[in-house]
Amino acid sequence: MRLLSWAYLVAAFTFILLPVVVLVVFSFQDSRLPVPPFEGPTLKWYAEILADRALMEALVNSLIVAFVSALVALVLGFLAASGLARVYLPGTAAMRALLIAPMTVSYLIIALGLLQMFNTLGVRPSLWVTGIGHVVINLPLCFAILYAAIGEHQKNALKAARDLGASEVQVLWFIAAPMLAPALGAAFFLAFTFSWDEFIIAFLLTRFDVTLPVEIWSMLRSGLSPATNAVGSLVFLVSVGIVLVLEFTLFRKKSK
Amino acid sequence: MIAPALLWTLVFFVVPFAAMVLMSLAHLEGREVVQGYALDNYLRIFTDPSLRKGIFVSLEITALVTVLSVLLAWPLAWIIASRVPPRWQRLVLLLAVLPFWTSYVVRSYSWALVLGEKGVVMNVLVGIGLLAEPVQIMATRAATVIGFTHFFVMLLTLTIYSNLIQLSPNYARAAEDLGAPKWKVIWLVILPLTLPGVMTGAFLTFVLCIGDYITPQILGGNNELTMPQLIMLQLGRRGDFPMASALSIVLMAIVTLAYLASARWLRMERV
Amino acid sequence: MTADVHIEAVKHRFQSFVALHGIDLRIAAGEFIVLLGPSGCGKTTLLSIIGGFLTPTKGKVLIGGTDMTRLGPKDRPTTTMFQDYALFPHMSLRDNVAFGLRMRGMARRARHERATEMLDMVGLADKAHRRPHELSGGQRQRVALARALAVEPDVLLLDEPLGALDLKLRRQMQDELKAIQRRVGTTFVHVTHDQEEAMAIADRIVVMNHGRIAHCGTPEEVYLRPKTLFSADFMGEMNRIPITPEGDAVTSPLGALPLPRQTGLMCVRPENLGLAGEVPLGKARLTELSFFGAHHRCRFAPLAAPEMGLVAHLPQGEAPEIGAEVALYARNPVILPEEA
Repeated sequence: MRLLSWAYLVAAFTFILLPVVVLVVFSFQDSRLPVPPFEGPTLKWYAEILADRALMEALVNSLIVAFVSALVALVLGFLAASGLARVYLPGTAAMRALLIAPMTVSYLIIALGLLQMFNTLGVRPSLWVTGIGHVVINLPLCFAILYAAIGEHQKNALKAARDLGASEVQVLWFIAAPMLAPALGAAFFLAFTFSWDEFIIAFLLTRFDVTLPVEIWSMLRSGLSPATNAVGSLVFLVSVGIVLVLEFTLFRKKSK
Repeated sequence: MIAPALLWTLVFFVVPFAAMVLMSLAHLEGREVVQGYALDNYLRIFTDPSLRKGIFVSLEITALVTVLSVLLAWPLAWIIASRVPPRWQRLVLLLAVLPFWTSYVVRSYSWALVLGEKGVVMNVLVGIGLLAEPVQIMATRAATVIGFTHFFVMLLTLTIYSNLIQLSPNYARAAEDLGAPKWKVIWLVILPLTLPGVMTGAFLTFVLCIGDYITPQILGGNNELTMPQLIMLQLGRRGDFPMASALSIVLMAIVTLAYLASARWLRMERV
Repeated sequence: MTADVHIEAVKHRFQSFVALHGIDLRIAAGEFIVLLGPSGCGKTTLLSIIGGFLTPTKGKVLIGGTDMTRLGPKDRPTTTMFQDYALFPHMSLRDNVAFGLRMRGMARRARHERATEMLDMVGLADKAHRRPHELSGGQRQRVALARALAVEPDVLLLDEPLGALDLKLRRQMQDELKAIQRRVGTTFVHVTHDQEEAMAIADRIVVMNHGRIAHCGTPEEVYLRPKTLFSADFMGEMNRIPITPEGDAVTSPLGALPLPRQTGLMCVRPENLGLAGEVPLGKARLTELSFFGAHHRCRFAPLAAPEMGLVAHLPQGEAPEIGAEVALYARNPVILPEEA
């Protein structure tokens, strides 16, 4: 049983890590195709993509959209979660359901709906419109995380603050936000990554100022290339870096 | 305080959705959308063989991926939770979901590299003599399923693992104390206790899988089209918004049905 | 600093569940009132209504003579000490205690001084810069008290504040609460389900059941002269002997008893059952015996009605042997009508 367990673990990890390893290894491939045999290593593909202006613009666009849309979703979600946690109203369950609803709808459908609406209104596809779409998908996420983070204990602390004379704004600023800081951080981080990585909404709702996933998509159309490997590896390494930093900072906090 | 979020959801989610319902009842004349109130589009989805096939392709792939992912992820999560020493668990788990951090598009692309005719897998299989010559996996359903399963095994491992470590170790101890052999402890005690989490994860897998365009497009190619691919086709090639809307609504209806069918097992607040 | 509280015909319903059926209660300024009852009796609902966390479906709440039924908690001269203390985890003890003063716009230095004074009162001045999670349960409880009192409320509401403490600490905190209440003179309204706690601290106890007041009186009244079977049972163990009129006196399963003619239940507390007293209950056999330190707990089977067990607490060293037959007597019996 023990041996079987370890064998399974190894097999599973091979399956899970294989594509990433292949991706990274062949980003150093010194030929035109990222397939065996491996030749290299070379950094020329990294040099090429870093010099690619369209790609770098897309990267900046992605960062902006991810940051802004995650922030908006976080603020809206935070306000809604604190508001709904405050008192029990007859409509609470319905409002919660409405706020969560977009989570169960495929991104493609959300994108299509927005595309049609903005078409009718004569609004052209742009980064802004994409940002709006990303808030739509991230708002339920932020709301759900924060709402779940407000347990009985937190509710009582908010109650206590009101009882001691704090206004609603003061309750949010002095008590709710600092108390929910870990959940706020997690929600923002998740929303940021979701937006950063989102393809279909950005694909349908941008035209010239595309985001990184859309730019990578258009790179794919020219077939397999180590340059695409290089972009993918770069995104991967940066993300892993951020995760590790978060892991260690959060870890430090916990042990303190 | 709740108003801004509600308003946002209303304006950018409910209204577009309502508009989409309306659009699905319209039809195309030349390149112009003509508003009508006919169910022609829906009728066509269920009669036109190429469209109808899309529903079945999507359902088959999604069902297969969901089952496969759960079957592969549960043992992995269990091994990590109960076999790996606690101080290594976080690290092992982090490693198990590492590919999450590549972009979604890139992940599918990586599988295209791995599974291609000249890719690593074929090289190894031919190299060790298991295959005489490379087999075509790319641009088949198998490639789509592999790509999807890869993603959802990670997702499910994460949810099932967090479910497992929340269980009190006393459940297993009590079962063993009462004389149950190890496999019975797992089968009769641990597994049922994780079922709500598994169901929630499986539902999530179903929803995300059936609505995804990228994976089948990159890995499955154009030989057989899933519903999202059909929707994109209507948009791209012909600008047929009414048909795309009708297909989207059918897709949503399928997800809703799946939700209703599994609602009593789900704990959505855990997602 | 202190105010009276009048609750007039307060009714509250949650959807179809009626939590309070018309409560009338007058609490004097500076009084220590305990709302006592089992869970679901409406005591916490009543406390929330006084604190402004709930608006009653009907009725009025007057604090210091002013109608405050529709005011929110922050506009009332009340503060609440919560069951889980609800200390702000991200603030030091001093900032926790000073929070209410900060909300009232008090300058930093003044409020810090006041917070330190309050912490000093509860004996935690040396821990002013600690965070709540570094404290023990009893210490947190003290901080919560200091925080609630720092804003000098007229009425302090305490929602089972001692519930999470172990028994010994609980008894100690009861004494402290009582002492602090005497010192500050604030009206305290305290909710609990522990009748010993209620008796230890209350000026008056309000026993509640199913959204109604079952009895309201001093601890002595509630314990010794209960008005309902419910409050009689809730305050402690009770022997019940059904009685019916016969001639000029009454009869019971134990035989005739020298009591005025009436129907009902004769209730006798275990410590009022013994080997001497005013109401003879006939002979009984001792069937079980256990030693509780201060007393022996004895279970007797009356010879006339062996199926009826009577529990008596006999003083140290006065218990007979098991199987012995002795004559039992009751003191201070209370006759209550039988309830449906």
